[in-house]
Amino acid sequence: MTWESILPNVFTGDASRAAAPPMDSDAFAGFYERSARSLWAYLVRVSGDPALADDLMQESYVRLLCASLPDHGEVAARRYLFRIATNLLRDNWRRPRPASLEEIPEEFFAAPASGESDAQAILGPALALMRPRDRQLLWLAYAEGYSHREIAEVTGLAGAGIRLLLFRARRKIAVLLRARNPKGEKDL
Amino acid sequence: MTLTSCSREKDVTELLALGAWPRACPPELRAHLDTCHSCRELVLVTAAFKRSRAQTAAAARLASPGALWWRAQFRCRQAAVERVGKPILGAQIFALTLYFLAAVTVVVTQAKHGIHWLGLFEKMPQFSSVSLQSLWPANLFISGVSPSILIPIVGTLILLSGALVYLVAERQ
Repeated sequence: MTWESILPNVFTGDASRAAAPPMDSDAFAGFYERSARSLWAYLVRVSGDPALADDLMQESYVRLLCASLPDHGEVAARRYLFRIATNLLRDNWRRPRPASLEEIPEEFFAAPASGESDAQAILGPALALMRPRDRQLLWLAYAEGYSHREIAEVTGLAGAGIRLLLFRARRKIAVLLRARNPKGEKDL
Repeated sequence: MTLTSCSREKDVTELLALGAWPRACPPELRAHLDTCHSCRELVLVTAAFKRSRAQTAAAARLASPGALWWRAQFRCRQAAVERVGKPILGAQIFALTLYFLAAVTVVVTQAKHGIHWLGLFEKMPQFSSVSLQSLWPANLFISGVSPSILIPIVGTLILLSGALVYLVAERQ
């Protein structure tokens, strides 16, 4: 008697059906098309590292597909995706940083790309001066348009504290934006 | 720090969310913006983030969804195999532990009953032909129980307990 005969589900392919991802490949392709760009933008602007954003984005989708989620629609799936990405970012920040200059990738010292947009040239340096958690909150609130409750769900922070944290973060980044682009406010 | 928010912030937020700022902004809201620091700050920050989001999203280099799909399929399958393997490993460890316990119990029991191990080996060369029965003298086991009955019973118990542990672990 072999293990295969005892456990047919695992070795004959039935396991893939038992643990099938919540979306089929076509549904996933559509969902990916609609959500990937905004997720990548979130990851790259919060982490400041495009290569890391690529890795975390792929990992976020794989984890989403492997999670056995109840079907609450695309909005809920998208929120869950951002939650996975937020947790991955947090795990990445908790990891020990390179100790010496030689270990830091060269891209970190590279000058900003010449093709960098005006908006990014103003917001990027301001965001870099913010704490990672504030960057996350600001992006979710003002770029993605999430409510306080949704932000609490994505970040795992207490709902009551989000308002105060966002208020402080917004005030701080507004000062930084005004300092970098004094005429920006007049253009409103 | 006081948390004071303007009562018109909601209107401004709605216009910004709809992408209708500043085209669809009513003149009185515009006038309000000139005097309200909080609303002006909201517009400044939201506009900067929205612009950055649009430009960054347009520059995204996306991986193929098909590759991600297959990677997820592979990982789901691996996770399923691991899930099934855990109870099997538990059952194997449990059965092995029981086996050793049974062996130790037999040895201890026989030692208490004063088995003549050395005498047994001394007698062995005298056998003209070595048979299975000659290797299992009656006094090796608990008196009154034949080894031909005892061994299958212990073996079956061990196997059944292993299977039981597997089923319990799988259900958990």
